[in-house]
Amino acid sequence: MTTVNDNTSEYITNSSSSSAGLKSLITVIILICVCISGFISRLFSIIRFESVIHEFDPWFNYRSTVYMTDNGFYNFLNWFDDLAWYPLGRIVGGTVFPGLMVTSGTIHWFFHMINIPIHIREICVFLAPVFSGLTALATYLLTKELWSKRAGLFAAAFIAIAPGYSSRSVAGSYDNEAIAIFALIFTYYLWIRSIKTGSIFWSSCTALSYFYMVSAWGGYVFIINLIPVHVGFLLLLGRYSLRLYVSYSIFYILGLILSMQIPFVGFQPVRTSEHMIAAGIFILLQAYTFFDYLYNKLRYVRNIETIFFNLSIIISIIVFAIVVLLTYTGYIAPWSGRFYSLWDTSYAAKHIPIIISVSEHQPTTWTSFFFDLHLLICLYPVGAWFCVKDLNDERVFILLYAVFASYFAGVMIRLMLTLTPCVCILAAIALSKTLDYYADAESSEMVSNYDDSVSICDEVENDENNQYLDNNAQNIDETDDNDDDQNFLTSNIKIIVVTCIAMMLLLFIVHCTWITATAYSSPSIVLVSYNSDGTRAIVDDYREAYYWLRQNTPEKARIMSWWDYGYQIAGMSNRTVLVDNNTWNNSHIALVGKAMASNETEAYKIMTMLDVDYILVIFGGVIGFSGDDINKFLWMVRIAEGEHPKDIKENNYFNDNKEYRVDKSGSPILFNCLMYKLCYYRFGELYTDSAQPSGFDRTRSVEIGHKNFDLEHVEEAYTSANWIVRIYRVKKLSNRFQAKDALEKLTSSLSEESFEKNDGKGVILNKPHVKKGTKKSMRRT
Amino acid sequence: MKQFIWLFFICICTLPNVLSKEDVLSEKIQQLTDWSLKKPIIRLNSERFKHYVKTAPRNYSMIIMLTALSPSRSCGICKQAQDEFQIVAQSYRYSSAFTNKLFFAMVDFDDGQDVFQYLKLNSAPVFIHFPPKMKPKKNDFMDISRSGFSAEAQAKWIHDRADVHIHVFRPPNYSGFLLVVLLVTMIGGLLYIKRNSLEFLYNPVVWGMFIILAILICISGQIWNSIRGSPFLHRNPQTGQIGLFSGSSGYQFIAETYVVFALYILFHINEFFFRKIKYINFLFYLP
Repeated sequence: MTTVNDNTSEYITNSSSSSAGLKSLITVIILICVCISGFISRLFSIIRFESVIHEFDPWFNYRSTVYMTDNGFYNFLNWFDDLAWYPLGRIVGGTVFPGLMVTSGTIHWFFHMINIPIHIREICVFLAPVFSGLTALATYLLTKELWSKRAGLFAAAFIAIAPGYSSRSVAGSYDNEAIAIFALIFTYYLWIRSIKTGSIFWSSCTALSYFYMVSAWGGYVFIINLIPVHVGFLLLLGRYSLRLYVSYSIFYILGLILSMQIPFVGFQPVRTSEHMIAAGIFILLQAYTFFDYLYNKLRYVRNIETIFFNLSIIISIIVFAIVVLLTYTGYIAPWSGRFYSLWDTSYAAKHIPIIISVSEHQPTTWTSFFFDLHLLICLYPVGAWFCVKDLNDERVFILLYAVFASYFAGVMIRLMLTLTPCVCILAAIALSKTLDYYADAESSEMVSNYDDSVSICDEVENDENNQYLDNNAQNIDETDDNDDDQNFLTSNIKIIVVTCIAMMLLLFIVHCTWITATAYSSPSIVLVSYNSDGTRAIVDDYREAYYWLRQNTPEKARIMSWWDYGYQIAGMSNRTVLVDNNTWNNSHIALVGKAMASNETEAYKIMTMLDVDYILVIFGGVIGFSGDDINKFLWMVRIAEGEHPKDIKENNYFNDNKEYRVDKSGSPILFNCLMYKLCYYRFGELYTDSAQPSGFDRTRSVEIGHKNFDLEHVEEAYTSANWIVRIYRVKKLSNRFQAKDALEKLTSSLSEESFEKNDGKGVILNKPHVKKGTKKSMRRT
Repeated sequence: MKQFIWLFFICICTLPNVLSKEDVLSEKIQQLTDWSLKKPIIRLNSERFKHYVKTAPRNYSMIIMLTALSPSRSCGICKQAQDEFQIVAQSYRYSSAFTNKLFFAMVDFDDGQDVFQYLKLNSAPVFIHFPPKMKPKKNDFMDISRSGFSAEAQAKWIHDRADVHIHVFRPPNYSGFLLVVLLVTMIGGLLYIKRNSLEFLYNPVVWGMFIILAILICISGQIWNSIRGSPFLHRNPQTGQIGLFSGSSGYQFIAETYVVFALYILFHINEFFFRKIKYINFLFYLP
């Protein structure tokens, strides 16, 4: 409950002085409290489990960070990873966003420079919570630019604890998103700053921050599309200014050059459709500025306005046509599959099963929105409305951000992450504007101390507004509004309303803490189960098995598993894997899927072709763990079917009622495929439940249909305590089948013939028997 | 010598037989090709079915749709299935893969009830592949309950069964395009008529409404509906009770999203027009 206390401390501040210094002191204190609460609320996983790297992708990031700190940055860029994608390998330096590794490497270097010998793992584990604090600060700055300081404080507090963001930034989830959201928000802040001031300094800063974002996450495409769209809309709305021209031109050119320095991005910014909006808007802006200049010089010419208007339309059409033409001729790559599936939502389902097989690429239900954002999602449209009512250049930006991010979050649940900051900002605006009416200075002495703190912020904001000349008019409007309302509002209503809002905020805090603690803080390599008396039991099968692999297999052993576990095996066992979570080669994955879905003989052919030494499967039937390979199996079949439609057919794995079942009604092809056999080998002898027969699968709650089978080409090597991880050794090629036969023949021939006729002589195996015939002529005679 | 004469005799006897068999076959293929060229889907009745599909000399595959198109049968999906089948047959007919090894045909229930009896069918539509020289096996019946009967699914199934790859070419759907053109011209016309008073374009309230609507559509899960196509409501078959909300967190009904949508709008209205009674929105709060 630490977070609750920390967050309420924003509202409970006791002071009555109104000097500017004190206000900024309070602001700083609140921001520090926000950062600390954001940090602390992400530590549940460490307190419950231990300081470990979570899930799948973070393991790869961790492994490459360790490699970078050991071997230096340049060796990291040239690193060819031979543990992944056997036999292809992976050029890591050219296929990774290095921002995350460089960030933690720099921190590591800094700590060692001042003689604090901290292990790199601790830095990796705590990087995300630390950056969430920075994100809160960046959100404060952005909201301050968009609306007011008070709304900024609210937004910072919201983003620090919102589950939509903490889902990706708990301690241990060492992933690109952990630092990318900070970079995203900070870039937006600098962009707003630069179009407000029109200074080269700020737009260069924007480009630098954009560079950091490009180095950190593939989601930088969102920035390089949103900022040009913003510029385009400002042009449409007739809000063109020289400030806009300066900031966008500098940002685009610098950002373009900088982003091409990342090896993974390379020439994409000039060669792919995703970046073409930015280029088009850049050309359009240059043309617009040119005509604007001419217009100012040639004002005396009649009808000049219509000429320019037509010219700019023609130019935009020409730019569009050129881009389309270049795309058709192949100079510009069309939209890549993942991006295309955002627009045409049925595209991925038809063409790329591997994209939709990932659960975070599913569309989002309204419950997920509410679950992740709670109160904020209700306040969010309200904030957008207030922005529309009081439109200026930067509010156009946040509105565009809101519309696009909402759409993307609706299509793909993973992009909820980019929506969350926007929701926090707009909800903060709505809340602070609402409180303007109910918690103003006059009533502050009557109401509780919640109200008190808010009123202080109010004053802070009013003072601040007076310093900004352009905000003055708006400020006067607000005070006028306030005066009108005050006639209607009695102090009692004010107290009730403010208390209600405070209660709602408290419930929001409770909700956020609860969600972060229960839903988003499990490392997924260490599972937890609850006994009947409520005590917790740690299920540590994964690490147990991976450590077994590390200790008991030859160093060059090649492990076949489904791609989910590739990074973990490489990271924890240090062994070669065939496929991993970087799913760049669909046909290789399909080959592994085919091996899993074929019968043992067929699979053995594939496995010897791929030099597999060990097979690893995840099986949850003993303790009822639902994320196991049997439940994922249909995806393996589908992906394999996509590449090998002749050999693998999804229908064969369903029973007669078109159901996928492992009990007696299951299909015989399923019972004989490698995956089934590896998962259920010797399972038929096991009693998992006292009330059930042997071989009862607790995940699927059925008794399995095929028990007591033997394995021919593989043998069991290791099974973890709860059977979650099962490892099998692939046998070497056996002797020729003839030999067994031949031995029998040998013994039989020894017993029958040799002792009688050929005393002591050797026998030739498979010696051709010659039937002795007689000549006809001899018979006649 | 005697044997030789015998052989000659046998030859003489069988020759017309063979000839006639080949004749029948080539005549059948010729006839089917002619029909196919005229119309991509050949309409069969009982006699024709018997002659071209059931009886022996046949070295070509047939894809046959058994259906009931007459309005009196009131088969709703038969019409859709017929359209999709038509697309596949058309794509095949005008593609380079067109040979006389594969023909598309259909049997209407009213033309050939015997066929339905012969194949022991009691539902429509059914797609069957008749492989050359053999009777259809279990897999030759297309499983439309599982894969659907869209043209793409049919092409995939045909590719599986008959090893003919058909690239489905749908006639482009102009209705969407026309709608857009109509809308654009309407808006353009409206703007042109009201060209003297274009202030409403600069009215932030209208644009604000659009933006709020877009946001609400997204966050109330309408995108999920359009991608997944969930039912509008859930009716419990036993009790007849209507379930508005789905029980699981990974699923939703369309009606449910409208309710949420309406709630958000209520909250919104509440926020602006009744600012004075602000605490109403407390009622909305869902723990």
